Amino acid sequence: MKSNKTIATLAGLGAISISFAATPAQAGGVLKSAVNDWTGGAVMCEIVHQIAEREMGFKVKRITMPSGPGRDEAIRAGDLDYGCELWPSYSTTIQKYVTEYGGDGSMLKVSDSGVVGVSSYYVPKYMVEGSDAKAPDLKSWKDMNKYASLFKTLETGEKGRLLGCPTAAWQCEDNKRMELLGLNYTAVELGSEAAHWAEMQAAYKRGEPFIAYAWEPHWIHAALDLVKVELPEHSEEKWPATGWATDVTFNYANPKFAEDHPEMIELIKNFRLTNEMQAPMIHAIDVDGKEMEEVVDAWLADNESTWKAWLPATN
Amino acid sequence: MSMVEQSTVNKGLFTYRGSNYTVLVLSLLGLLFSLLVYGIAKNTSVFPQAVIDSFPFVETINDAQKWMEENIRHITRAISDAVRVPLEWLEEVLWELPWVFVLLAMVLPALAYGGLRLGLLAVVGVCFWGMVGMWYEAMSTLSLMAVSVSFSVVLGILLGVLSSQSERFEAFLRPILDTMQTMPAFVYLIPAIFFFGVGAPSATLAIIIYAIPPVIRLTSLGIRQVPATMVEAAQSYGSTRAQMLWKVKLPQALPSIMQGVNQTIMMALGLAVLAVFIGGGGLGEQVWKALTKLKVGWAFEGGIAIVFMAIIFDRLSYAVTGVSSGKMAHYGDGPRFYLLPQKWDANPLARAIEMPIGVVWNAFATVGIAITNYFAKSIKPLSPGFSDWLAPKPFLLIGSLILAVVYLIGPEVKWMNSYPRAWEYSIREPIDFAIDWLTINPTFIAVTKFIRSFVFLYLLDPLDKFLVGLPWWYVMAALTLIVWVSTNMRFALTTLVFLIFLAAAGLWEISLFTIAGTAVSVLICIAIGVPLGIVAAYSKITDAVLRPILDAMQTLPAFVYLIPALFFFGGNKTTAIIATVIYSIPPVIRLTTLGLRQLPPEIDEVSNSYGSSTLQTLFMVKLPMASPSIMLGLNQAVVMALAMQAITPLVAGEGLGKEVYHAMNVANMGRGLAAGIGIVLLTIMLDRLTQGWTKNQRRALGL
Repeated sequence: MKSNKTIATLAGLGAISISFAATPAQAGGVLKSAVNDWTGGAVMCEIVHQIAEREMGFKVKRITMPSGPGRDEAIRAGDLDYGCELWPSYSTTIQKYVTEYGGDGSMLKVSDSGVVGVSSYYVPKYMVEGSDAKAPDLKSWKDMNKYASLFKTLETGEKGRLLGCPTAAWQCEDNKRMELLGLNYTAVELGSEAAHWAEMQAAYKRGEPFIAYAWEPHWIHAALDLVKVELPEHSEEKWPATGWATDVTFNYANPKFAEDHPEMIELIKNFRLTNEMQAPMIHAIDVDGKEMEEVVDAWLADNESTWKAWLPATN
Repeated sequence: MSMVEQSTVNKGLFTYRGSNYTVLVLSLLGLLFSLLVYGIAKNTSVFPQAVIDSFPFVETINDAQKWMEENIRHITRAISDAVRVPLEWLEEVLWELPWVFVLLAMVLPALAYGGLRLGLLAVVGVCFWGMVGMWYEAMSTLSLMAVSVSFSVVLGILLGVLSSQSERFEAFLRPILDTMQTMPAFVYLIPAIFFFGVGAPSATLAIIIYAIPPVIRLTSLGIRQVPATMVEAAQSYGSTRAQMLWKVKLPQALPSIMQGVNQTIMMALGLAVLAVFIGGGGLGEQVWKALTKLKVGWAFEGGIAIVFMAIIFDRLSYAVTGVSSGKMAHYGDGPRFYLLPQKWDANPLARAIEMPIGVVWNAFATVGIAITNYFAKSIKPLSPGFSDWLAPKPFLLIGSLILAVVYLIGPEVKWMNSYPRAWEYSIREPIDFAIDWLTINPTFIAVTKFIRSFVFLYLLDPLDKFLVGLPWWYVMAALTLIVWVSTNMRFALTTLVFLIFLAAAGLWEISLFTIAGTAVSVLICIAIGVPLGIVAAYSKITDAVLRPILDAMQTLPAFVYLIPALFFFGGNKTTAIIATVIYSIPPVIRLTTLGLRQLPPEIDEVSNSYGSSTLQTLFMVKLPMASPSIMLGLNQAVVMALAMQAITPLVAGEGLGKEVYHAMNVANMGRGLAAGIGIVLLTIMLDRLTQGWTKNQRRALGL
C-alpha cells in the first residue's frame, strides 16, 4: 500500500515537471544557439549572443557541437534555434534542407554572415621564401610537378603527398583534381580537421616540406605563416579541375523559431561581420590566448555604433 | 613437494608442446599455401557487383529511418523529456551547491568506507576539477553520469533478473547485448539527435545503450551462480519464488552485480567525450574543444579530470559494497593507492609525513565515535531500533553534521561557495612544453620515424596487400576453416554468413583493412605487452610503476592522446595503429603478470631441482602454464582493438570505422549501420575465435 502511494506521488511529480519542461519559452525568452567549434565561427555566434542578452532580454543557451549533419538535425528538429556561419561548399545537408539550395525548407537561411571563405592549397612560407627555400618557384599548380619529389612519403611512393580535405564528406575531390590537372601527387585524407591541422603544425615546427589544403579565415593562418598555391579559377563545368568557389557563408535558423521571434531574425539579418573584422579577434584568442567572451566584450565596447545599428526597429 | 604436483607440471608441459607443434606446422603450411594462391590469383579479388547491387540493406534502413522520423518521434521525444527532468534538476543542484559541500559529499563516504587513503584520493581528485578550472564542467559530467548510471543500474538489474529466470530470454538478449557493446557510437549518435533531441538527454540515452550490458550480464550470472545448497535450504523453509529471489538470490548475487555496476560506470565515462557530438557538454566538451585547437595540455587536463572521476567511482563503489575488487582482471587488479609504499615505514621522512595525518585521522575517528555513542545512548529510550542501527556507524552522524553545516554556511563563505580562483593551478604549460620539445627533438623523431616505417613497410602494408590480393572466396573459406578448427561447425557456418553479409553490403575490402589493422595492433600488443608483463611479474618496482600508468591508459579518453600521436608519428595509417595499441595493450600486460603470479610457487622449486635456470623455468614451464591467461589477454586486446575502430578514423585510420564515420558526416544512417554491423560481426567472430584458442589451450594443459 505504502509503496503504491509512493509510486503514484513520484509519477505525479514527474508529470508536473514534464509539463513544466514542455511549456514553450515566453516571448523574448530563450535562444538555443549552436556554437561552432572553430574560433572564427564561435566569435561570430558570441557577438549575436551578447547583443541578444544585453539589449533584447534573451537568455542564451550555448551548445557547442561539431558542425555537420548532427547539428543540422538539431536545428531542423527545433532543439536548437540558430546556427551561424555555415559554409555551403562543405555542407552535406543544405541540398536536402535549405530552400535556396533545392531543399525542403526545414532549415531557414536567414542572411549572409559577411564572412567570405576562400579555399586552396598552401605551403609554408619557408619553402618559397628566403635563401634556403626548397621550392622558391612554387607559386601555382603549374609548378607543383617540378617539386613533387620534395613531398613524397612512404605511403605515396614516388608521388608527392598532398594533404587533401580531411574527409571525403566535404567533396573536395582532391585526387580527381590531381588526375585532371596531370599532377604527380596523391591526396591523403586524415579523417578529421584536428588531425589535419596537427599534421601541418608538427611538420611546420620541424621545418619539413608539406603542401596542404586549407581555407581562410582560419586560426591556422594566425599560428603558421602559409602561402597560397594558385589553382585554376573556379568553374562549375570544369570542376574539379579548378579551384574552389568562394564560400559566401550564411546564418541559419529553425523556421518555427523564425516565426515566433521575428525580432531575433531581424537582428541576425542586420548582423554582418567581414573577414577583416573577424581576423583580429581570432588572433587575440588563438595567438594571444585571451578568453573569447573577453575579446567579444572588448569588440562590442569599441564598435558600439556598428552593432547598435543592427538592433531591430521594434526593440 | 608431492609427486602429484610434479607430474602435473610434466604432463602440462608435454601436452602443451605436442599440440603446439602440430598447430604451428599446420599454420605454416596454410600460410605457404595461401602465399601460393596469392601469387597465382594476384589482384583478381572482386566480389560480384551484381550481388552487391541486389542487396538493398542501405536503402531499406534509410527508408525505415524516414518512416520512424515521421511516426515514432513523439514517443521518443516524450521519453527524452522525462529524462531531461532529473538531469537538469541534478545539474542545477550540483552547480548551485557550495563546492566544499560536493567535495565533502565525495570525500566523507570515501573516508568512511575506504579509509584514509581512499579519502585522500578523493580529495585530490575532486580538487583537481577546481584546480584546472573545470569545476562546472565536472559537475555537468557528474550529473550526466549519475542519471545515466542510475537508469542503467535499475533497468539493468531488472533485465538481469528476468534473464536469470528464463533461458530463452537470456538467449534472446545475448546477441543484442553483444551488439550494443560493440556497435560504434557514431552509428546512433546522429539519429539520436532527431529522435531524442540535442544535449544531455540524448547523451544519457546513448550512454545507457552503450553501458548497460555489464549490469544485465553480471546480474544474471550472479543469480545463476547462487549455490544450489542455499536454494534448497530456502526451499525447505517454504520460501516462495519471489521471496527466494529477493531475500536469498539477489543478496547472494550482490558481489557480481556490483562488478557489473562498476564496469557500467567505467563504460559510461568512456562515452563522456563522444557525447560532445550530440551537444553533451561537460568535461567531454572541454577535451573536444582542446582537441580541435590542438591544445594538448588542455586536453590532458580534461582527460585527467575524467580519469579521477572514474577512479574515485571505481574505488568507492567497491569500498561501499565491501566487495573485494581483486577478482576482476580488468580493473580490479589496479592500484589501491597506498599513501606511501609500506616498505618505507621505517624511513623517518615517510613517518614524519604520515604521522600527523595519522594523528588527525585518529582524533577524528575518536570524536566521531564519541559523539555517535553519546547520541545513540541519549535517543535509546525514544527509539531503540534506530539507536542500535546508528551506534556502529560513527561516520554517518558526524559526516551528516559536517555536511549540514557546510550546506548552511557554505553560500555565505566565499572560499567555500565557489572554488577560489587563487587556488587554480594549470598544468597545461608544462605538458605543452614537453610535447613541443618532443615534436621537434631530432632523436625522438628519428625513433618514431623508424617505428612508423617498420610497422608500415613490414607489417601493415604487406598484410593489407596480401589479404586484398587473395580471392574473396579463398579468404572466406580459410577464415571459416580456422574458426571451425578453433570452435565448432555451427559457429563456423555463422561466420560464413557474417562474411557473406560483409561482402554483399559492399564492405569486403574495407573489412579486410580492419582485419589487417586489428591483427597488426594485436601483434604489437603481444610483442610489447608479454615481455612487459613478464618483467612486472618478477619485479615489484616495475609492477608498481606500471599499474597506475595502465589504469590511466584504460580510463584516459583516447581523444587526449590522438594529437600527440599525430605530432610524433604524423598523419598516416600507422598512427591509428599506435593509438589502438595504447588503448588495447593493458589487458595483455596485466593478464601476463597475473597468469605468472597465479602459478603455485612450488613450480620454481621443482624446476630448479631438475637443474633449470630461471630463464629455462620461465620459457619451458611457467609461460606455457600461464598461456591460457595470456590468451585471455589476447582475446581482450582483440575486442578492444576493434572498439578503437570507432575512434581511429579521426586520425587517418582505415577500415570499417572510417566508413561509419564517413556515413555520419554525410548523414547516411544505412551506410553507417551496415559498417557498424560489420564491426560487430568481426568482433563476435574474432572474440569467439580467440576464446576458442584459450579453451583449447586450457584443455591441452589439462585444466
